[in-house]
Amino acid sequence: MNAPVQITHLYKTYTRRRWLGKNWEKPVLKDVSLTLEENHVLGLVGESGCGKSTLCKVLLGIEKPTSGQVLADGKDVAVLSKSEFKKLRRVMQVVYQDPYSSLDPRMTVRQTLSEPLDIHGLKKEPRERDAFLKDLLAAVGLSATQLERYPHEFSGGQRQRICIARALALDPKILVADEPVSALDVSVQAQILNLLKKIQTQRHLSMIFVTHDFAVARFLCDDIAVMYQGRIVERAPAEELFLHPQHPYTRALLAAVPSVQGPCLPPEELAEAPGRTDWACPFAARCAYAQASCKSNRFELKEIFPRHACACGVLPFATEKKKSA
Amino acid sequence: MTCSSEPILEVRNLHIDFTAEEGRLPVLCGLSYALPKGRVLAVVGESGSGKTVHALSVLRLLPPNAHVSGGEICYKGQNLALLSEGELRRIRGGKISMIFQDPAASLNPVLTIGQQLTETLLAHRKMSKEEARRQAARLLEKVGIAGAAKRLEEYPFQFSGGMCQRVMIAMALALSPDVLIADEPTTALDVTVQAQILRLIKQLQTESGMSAVFITHNLAVAAAVADEVLVLYAGRCMEQAPAEQLFKNPLHPYTQGLLNSLAPLHQKVEKLPVIAGHPPVPGQAQAGCPFAPRCPFASEKCRQSCPPLFEENGRKTRCWLREVHA
Repeated sequence: MNAPVQITHLYKTYTRRRWLGKNWEKPVLKDVSLTLEENHVLGLVGESGCGKSTLCKVLLGIEKPTSGQVLADGKDVAVLSKSEFKKLRRVMQVVYQDPYSSLDPRMTVRQTLSEPLDIHGLKKEPRERDAFLKDLLAAVGLSATQLERYPHEFSGGQRQRICIARALALDPKILVADEPVSALDVSVQAQILNLLKKIQTQRHLSMIFVTHDFAVARFLCDDIAVMYQGRIVERAPAEELFLHPQHPYTRALLAAVPSVQGPCLPPEELAEAPGRTDWACPFAARCAYAQASCKSNRFELKEIFPRHACACGVLPFATEKKKSA
Repeated sequence: MTCSSEPILEVRNLHIDFTAEEGRLPVLCGLSYALPKGRVLAVVGESGSGKTVHALSVLRLLPPNAHVSGGEICYKGQNLALLSEGELRRIRGGKISMIFQDPAASLNPVLTIGQQLTETLLAHRKMSKEEARRQAARLLEKVGIAGAAKRLEEYPFQFSGGMCQRVMIAMALALSPDVLIADEPTTALDVTVQAQILRLIKQLQTESGMSAVFITHNLAVAAAVADEVLVLYAGRCMEQAPAEQLFKNPLHPYTQGLLNSLAPLHQKVEKLPVIAGHPPVPGQAQAGCPFAPRCPFASEKCRQSCPPLFEENGRKTRCWLREVHA
């Protein structure tokens, strides 16, 4: 049985052609390897610009990988033809961050939800279609009376429910969610998070969940991958990551998350060492634990405990974990 | 609490309306608070609760379609609404200064950082240009920007978001104001940078004994910086209490719901308790408590009439359930 999503040694570089001189190049993803397991939620956590949204775009076929392989439902997304991609869309769907810009303001909810069904020629019989749409709305917590309304008549949370319903219309196996709650009000976030969790369990979805919020990731994700400057620096089952974070960057991130219950790690001072920008380890310039060996060696993502991989050669906290184990 | 000391900034029964096609939309309905010297007040609310509008009104920066329809804002006892433009200029920046949400958008992209920093100094203080530059460099160092003298020559695009926000803070503190109003100063920043900026603001605030109004939608940020927290909902103060008490023992059902609905960082839970429904749209006028339609404890009384703020042990709560305790 293939994993729903399998990414191996993925590189993505954005290039801009210049008339003269060298092309402008920006490497965004560097040697990313990831597996999304069946019926699991994989969280991608990182700060802005770390490449988490680009990873989603490559997976969805919006961007082409520069090198490496991305298998979605066993198919290589880089070489799929248009018609093959259309088939893949029935299996893999997406929910975006901003529910205001991702719905067509001139389409009613019925039209929005019918579009994917029309494209794929499903549920053509009007009565069947109608019943299906009503069920779909009920599944995301909206009422059937709202089918004929336009997006502007809904609040942000309700719009995100419509976006989720649209993604579910084709009954996909894989759902990519790119920061689906970060544009929502605090009191509405919890509703949408509960809904995503319920749907994931009921429909046995495999889900890639992009977020910058560790608390949200802890609630929803089975596995978490932490990204930094286009690389995965740590990957572990969610609870393992929270209880025994290993990479200095993961620890710094966790310590920086404010929480009403107080921070979950003592504040971690990030070193400001701009002199280390040319070091092999990309995090060395901010790392308080960098050693001479980080200057020339970039440490690959390596399994240090069962199912727990970390890209750090110093591992200042590994003994702590062994003791507690 | 240092309630005995004279408040440095006082907002009394502030009402603000927006003029829209549908008529007048009330955005703020009778907000009152007193900010004592050297304290940090966090104003917490969701979008549309009126928190930013209130901040803009303090320095009379409201857009033309908004107007103050009642109440007053007093700085050291003088009503800011009655000041002439000239008098207000001396207060803006000099006595009360402000930091905005998006640091990159609040700096002028075609002027160097040095030009923008010295502009503030030269406009308010009698000093030579060289003196102003030296002062500007000192300010940059104070907010933790290395190589300040050289960086004064640089333009905003050469600064990262966190660095731009440090420049904004330097600018806001240039004239050692008495009150700093920070409107979502870390919302556009990454968490590691947010932590640094929060620590910096707190440190500078403690050192200078400045007072601050900190506007945020993020309860955790409020917990990190504030002495006192005011929870806004639909233009009304729902609860005001010392920060520690508010987070440990929230009294208003809305505050309780908000705190419960946050995904906890410290443990994994299976389901998040939610507040049903969604925040009201400004202008959807209704009788009774604005939170009643979403409140699990709402009774007929709540739907009929809006409760006043009940005071008990230095806390204020707008909820009929607190009536017996007050």
